[in-house]
Amino acid sequence: MLGHYLILSGIIFSLGLIGVMTSRNVLKVLLSLELLLAASNLSFVSFSKFNGDYAGQLIVFFVILVAAAEVAIGLAIIVVMYRRLSTIQADELKEMKW
Amino acid sequence: MFPVINWSLVSLEVLMSIILVLLVAVDIALPKNTDKDWIGIFSFIGLAGLIIFWLTQGSLNGVTFSGMYVMDSLAWFFKGFFLVAMVFVFAMTQEFFKSLGERRNEFYLLLWLALIGMCLIASSADFLLMFIAIEILTISLYVMTAYLKSDRLSIEAGMKYLILGALASGFFLYGISFLYGAAHSTHFDVIQSYCQTHGITPITVFATVLIFAAVGFKIAAVPFHMWVADVYQGAPTPVTALLSVGSKAAGFIVLIRLFFGVFGAWHVEWSLVLAVLSAITMTYGNLVAMCQTNIKRLLGYSSISHAGYLLMGAAAGTALGAAGINFYLLGYLFTNLAAFLVIIVFSIAAKSDEIADYAGLSQRSSLLACAMLLALVSLAGMPPLAGFFGKFTLLMAVIKSGYVWLALIAGVNIVISTYYYLVVAKRIFVEKPHSTTPVAISAGMQLLLVLAIVGIVVVGTFQGPFLDAAMAAVNGMYLAHP
Repeated sequence: MLGHYLILSGIIFSLGLIGVMTSRNVLKVLLSLELLLAASNLSFVSFSKFNGDYAGQLIVFFVILVAAAEVAIGLAIIVVMYRRLSTIQADELKEMKW
Repeated sequence: MFPVINWSLVSLEVLMSIILVLLVAVDIALPKNTDKDWIGIFSFIGLAGLIIFWLTQGSLNGVTFSGMYVMDSLAWFFKGFFLVAMVFVFAMTQEFFKSLGERRNEFYLLLWLALIGMCLIASSADFLLMFIAIEILTISLYVMTAYLKSDRLSIEAGMKYLILGALASGFFLYGISFLYGAAHSTHFDVIQSYCQTHGITPITVFATVLIFAAVGFKIAAVPFHMWVADVYQGAPTPVTALLSVGSKAAGFIVLIRLFFGVFGAWHVEWSLVLAVLSAITMTYGNLVAMCQTNIKRLLGYSSISHAGYLLMGAAAGTALGAAGINFYLLGYLFTNLAAFLVIIVFSIAAKSDEIADYAGLSQRSSLLACAMLLALVSLAGMPPLAGFFGKFTLLMAVIKSGYVWLALIAGVNIVISTYYYLVVAKRIFVEKPHSTTPVAISAGMQLLLVLAIVGIVVVGTFQGPFLDAAMAAVNGMYLAHP
């Protein structure tokens, strides 16, 4: 049974990773980053359930908190980026190279 | 039922948090149109008090918060390191925003938050606390990187740093979840005894690789270095200084805690991987640094190559290697901060970070030219400056562990790096200046420049006590691998 949950969390993690690497839209990148943390949460909770201790479920609360802070900062930077560059496409971030 | 908390161990962080809350209150209470930089002044008083308080904490040793928080010699050493680095960064911030005229009070508060994060990283004995401390540090760094809202480069740097940083913390967390699944706990002591009784299994290899990816991002090791150059160039210069010294040192504490302590039992398996990464990192950093035209970008690539040198200490896997990392970081602190002080003063006067504009700096300000020359030569590793003995200790550590080839590659790299550091020095001293107006340096900046120069020379020439301190930090480490 544990294996099923871990496979699901692995699929979510891979989807997040693919999303981060292929998305052009910064909002989509931010969403995919959230998927990475969600996948970790799922595996924490399932390990906690099958190991029979509660530490893993406790950790998830902290992770949700951190994820919320990260999204808040991310959205703020996206707003600033849109005001200054009038776009939220990741490939417009090309001022600096090499 | 509730665990007993030993508050004297956590008193430094508690004091920092109190100062931060007080400063927020002061910021709200201050009239909006005051010219005086009250938050900056109070920050300096707070830092001075904390440094004196830190000196009294040298003998503290123990674990509290049910084994999540540890105060040992390693934590004590690095907390002092961060406090000294912060004195420089606060002064740079004051100077930087004086000329810019943007709102700077929030910036000071974010710096305090970053300081708390770094001190917590130094003291964490549990993966949960370590994760949260790293996030406190990086989230405040994201904001500071993107702080100049009207500057295109700053926004771009902030966005790139946020995306790659959040990716790294995703890796870290996923790795921790598997380690938790295997060892049934996130405490370092439980995981260490798990490592000693169990061999390497696929699940733990997977977890350690993910965790190392996140640490590699923090210390800027190849192949997790993509953010470094862009963020260093785009971020406000005080943040770049903090990234290159504070954030890198924080990454190396994590590396020492994990790869000398928690995963120490698997060191034989890890050592070769670390050695190869170290060789690739230093070579990549040095080769790309040769063709840079922006001084902040050049120091970005140079910081990648220094991450490579420092990884040698981790590859050696002995107490000497770890002490070498500590000592090298101590020299690197003064050296890099001297370089960034010069960059800040010069960029305020000349409004440029291009290396071409540094031409003839020696005729415009001999103090700046002298500080920059010493910093560059120390970064390159010339005796008798701090950089030389740091490199010497690390080379000795890897040779004793049997990695002669790594020492040879490092030797070649030191020669390559000397070339591009000296090209900058040549511009400063030999070429004709574009304008001959002297660069004005404020009294505070002069004092700090002299302090940094003294630091470079003293750490290099009287290395004994510093080396002893670096060694003592490793010897008294919590959960040190036998």
